[in-house]
Amino acid sequence: MELLVLIKPVPDPETRLRPNAAGTNLDTDGVKWVLTGYDESAVEQALLLKEAIPGSKVRAIAFGPAPRTEEILRSALALGCDAATWVEQPADTPTDPMRAAAALTVACQKTPFDLILVGKQALDDEAGLVGPALAERLGIADYGPVVDVRWDAAGRRFTFARAVEGGSDRVSAPTPLVVCLQQAWNDPRTAKLQNVLKARRIAIDKVTWAEVAAGIGSAAPGTHVTAFRLPPPRTGAKMIEYRTPDEAAQKLVRLLREEAKVLP
Amino acid sequence: MVEFSLTEEQRSLQDLARKFAKTEMLPVAAACDREGRFPEEVYRKAWELGLMNLNVPTEYGGSGLSVFDQCLIVEELAHACGGMTTSIIANCLALEPILLGGTEEQRKRTLPAFCASYHLASFCLTEPGGGSDAAGLQTRCRRDGDVYVLDGEKSFITNAPHAALYTVFATLDPSLRHKGITAFFVPREAEGITPGKDEDKMGHRASSTSTVKFDHVRVPVANRLGADGEGFALAMQTLDHTRTPIGALATGIAQAAVDYAGDYANKRHSFGKPIGEHQAIQLKLANMAQEVHAARLLTWQAAWWIDQGQRGSLESSIAKCFASDAAMRAADDAIQIFGGYGYMKDYPVEKLLRDAKLTQIYEGSNEIQRIVIARELLSRYA
Amino acid sequence: MSSSVLVVVEIRNGAPVRASLEALGVGRRIAGPPGSGTVTAVLLGSGSESSSTTVAERGVDKVLSVADPRFDAFHAVVWAAAIAAIAREIDAGTILVAGTSNGRELVGRLAARWEAAAVNGVADLSLAADGTLMAVRPVFSGRALQEVRVDQTRAVLGLRPNAFTAPEPSGSKASVEAHPTPDLGQLPALGVVSGFEPAQTGSGPDLSEALVVVSGGRGLRGPENFRLLEDLAGALGGAIGASRAVTDSGWKPASFQVGQTGRTVSPQLYIAVGISGAIQHVVGMISSRTIVAINSDPNAPIFKVADYGVVGDLFQIVPALTAEIRRVRGS
Repeated sequence: MELLVLIKPVPDPETRLRPNAAGTNLDTDGVKWVLTGYDESAVEQALLLKEAIPGSKVRAIAFGPAPRTEEILRSALALGCDAATWVEQPADTPTDPMRAAAALTVACQKTPFDLILVGKQALDDEAGLVGPALAERLGIADYGPVVDVRWDAAGRRFTFARAVEGGSDRVSAPTPLVVCLQQAWNDPRTAKLQNVLKARRIAIDKVTWAEVAAGIGSAAPGTHVTAFRLPPPRTGAKMIEYRTPDEAAQKLVRLLREEAKVLP
Repeated sequence: MVEFSLTEEQRSLQDLARKFAKTEMLPVAAACDREGRFPEEVYRKAWELGLMNLNVPTEYGGSGLSVFDQCLIVEELAHACGGMTTSIIANCLALEPILLGGTEEQRKRTLPAFCASYHLASFCLTEPGGGSDAAGLQTRCRRDGDVYVLDGEKSFITNAPHAALYTVFATLDPSLRHKGITAFFVPREAEGITPGKDEDKMGHRASSTSTVKFDHVRVPVANRLGADGEGFALAMQTLDHTRTPIGALATGIAQAAVDYAGDYANKRHSFGKPIGEHQAIQLKLANMAQEVHAARLLTWQAAWWIDQGQRGSLESSIAKCFASDAAMRAADDAIQIFGGYGYMKDYPVEKLLRDAKLTQIYEGSNEIQRIVIARELLSRYA
Repeated sequence: MSSSVLVVVEIRNGAPVRASLEALGVGRRIAGPPGSGTVTAVLLGSGSESSSTTVAERGVDKVLSVADPRFDAFHAVVWAAAIAAIAREIDAGTILVAGTSNGRELVGRLAARWEAAAVNGVADLSLAADGTLMAVRPVFSGRALQEVRVDQTRAVLGLRPNAFTAPEPSGSKASVEAHPTPDLGQLPALGVVSGFEPAQTGSGPDLSEALVVVSGGRGLRGPENFRLLEDLAGALGGAIGASRAVTDSGWKPASFQVGQTGRTVSPQLYIAVGISGAIQHVVGMISSRTIVAINSDPNAPIFKVADYGVVGDLFQIVPALTAEIRRVRGS
């Protein structure tokens, strides 16, 4: 089974967020870029499938600028992916999630696959567009957000649970297929020291920007971020002074109705 | 040529250790400290990831890291818990005499087992009668045909109750002083070995420490490391290699003190502003930061020097001594910055002080380190 | 840009989901008042005819109902094909999709199919003077906000549930038109939905859609005390959530967890009971409109992010609050 897992470098979740000087994006100075969240769960799922299906191979693919993108591909290799493809994004080349999906499609078309795994969304911009848009471009079905993907060898289908409001659907689907993974349900593994060292010696394949541009045309991305800001800081709660619990309840309900206007 | 930047490979080792420290060690560190619990699940996981036998060459299945790279990892681990770090790196200390003094046959007989599955080893040098005066040790080894018979007691032995193998230093005759000391490796199954009860310690409470009694323990000659009387030199050489990582361990504790104190100084308010805006606090933080920085650079330099094939006694003594004193001062200052809260066990900084204290004592007390440094210095003017 | 707006209305349990009704209001706003631009709602699947009536009263110009059971199970590829075809037919400029589980998945697929720009998770939307769409969306788990400008003439926008107000039913009724199933083109092999497993989230509304969420933490001391929160949530018509400490201890299943590794919720009212307010939890609820914290520890970090705080014994405060809410609501 040929498994592709698409990942994206995102700022370490503990990063203190700061807008850049122009207020148009995150200030990336000193930011540590990591493989985490939904993508980490997607890699873990890919590796679990690889272990369950004899003869399987996992290739990690990431689109983004150097060197952060190469670094997270190395993280994926250290975890047990067999190969990696870096889809080049030259610095200063504007992009958006739909553009990223198009670029990744070019890379996916260069390699055989049965299943493409992708995080339901990235932990930074939370767009949730890449997996479904990529599937459309490849002309195959996609399902998300899913957990617990298994291979039904007899039926030659993947089975999984797709989260919907109020519960989850059991779904089975034939290959080729895109699945968009939920995060933090499969306790992603930690790389072993030996594999971290070995991963540094694996050559990463590259899809150049020229190849990408040839595949997706030169039109500008359909959206661009004009501002990045922090929400106004919450200044702390208005504390309810009271003598009895009943008084606290009455005061709180009055505030919720008359000031916050969240109770009818 | 001097190069202070880490390679991508070194950075990824650091990341691995940092992640392990944060996700596996830190969440249980306070509880293990409180309960004096030896978190075997953490140690097994450390072993699984290859964080345990860092100095064992890859040909035996180990991680085969330079002393420098070991230091990078040890600092990150110690940031979460000094005690657990001591237990994790105890194998490095116990197996180093086999790496340095063992024959190829002896290495092949011992080392792969530690890399193939989870086992602990203990380095047995210190005795109830003395630690710093290693040449005066009293545990006896008596030749009897193809075996030696070991008799005596070792104390303050890390991981001893859990160890599968002991590297033991014993003397053929105490009056020979260092010339009589001989080294062995002794499997736990050998008859006559009795680890004592776990010591109730001030700090490093997630680590396990006990005495080990050797009562007529018969050890084959094939388990002797080097020749008769070569044990003392082997012990000293071993400590030259493992002393620097203790500097890194202390640096990790010191860095944790800076990190906790810095964070607290921004959050805690007094006199209408964050305490970090008061100069009294700023001066403390600045001193702490300087010392941690110096400790790290001294450690790196000593490690690099040893990796160049130099003995590095002076450099490693300076690094270990300075870093452990710095850790002690940083932990002390962190408590002071936390004020009354710092003295409470609900906050993480008082543990740092208790953990830091040991780094001034073990693997050669700081007094011994200073004597080494002074002797080396004076010899240059003699 | 065409001021023709197409709103995708999702049906669940025989009725339009509220988030889709919210999208109708947004559609009206960006299309301009009736006469200037048109708002078309499209409903897919067997239930579309009966739900069309509700939709027709919510300020739209036209309702298209495609009552084909092929849309009953959600397959993004099938839905995208149908909606893109209808969008071409009516010459739409903007498609609005409610950010439900299905809707979030649909946006990217539909945009690729219809060759449009896409923005998901929109919490606020405005129209610049030149007709350009400007979207505001929370990113980094609500720790930051992004403003996104749409540079293309076609756009698919996914709207965050609870971020917009659903229009009330008006007197006038738009025309409802049964629309034939559009040509779906060549469809790839699809999955088969073989069953549904309800989440163990109690009897209230779904956690991620509820207007009110009452969450409990370690301060409840035991699973049996969630009864107090169930009473309060019942009085408010809300859903129950929990902190990670609670789900890790097994007091509640993981499906209740609000936070970084659990669900993200943004209700109108979030009541945190006995929750200290670790960042792990806070990122899952910070975009709630109003946050109330009840905790015995006056230094609990939850009070830093809450709008209203009550320091006290939750075992006394919560029952009093439940009683007071029942009283004012006259039940």
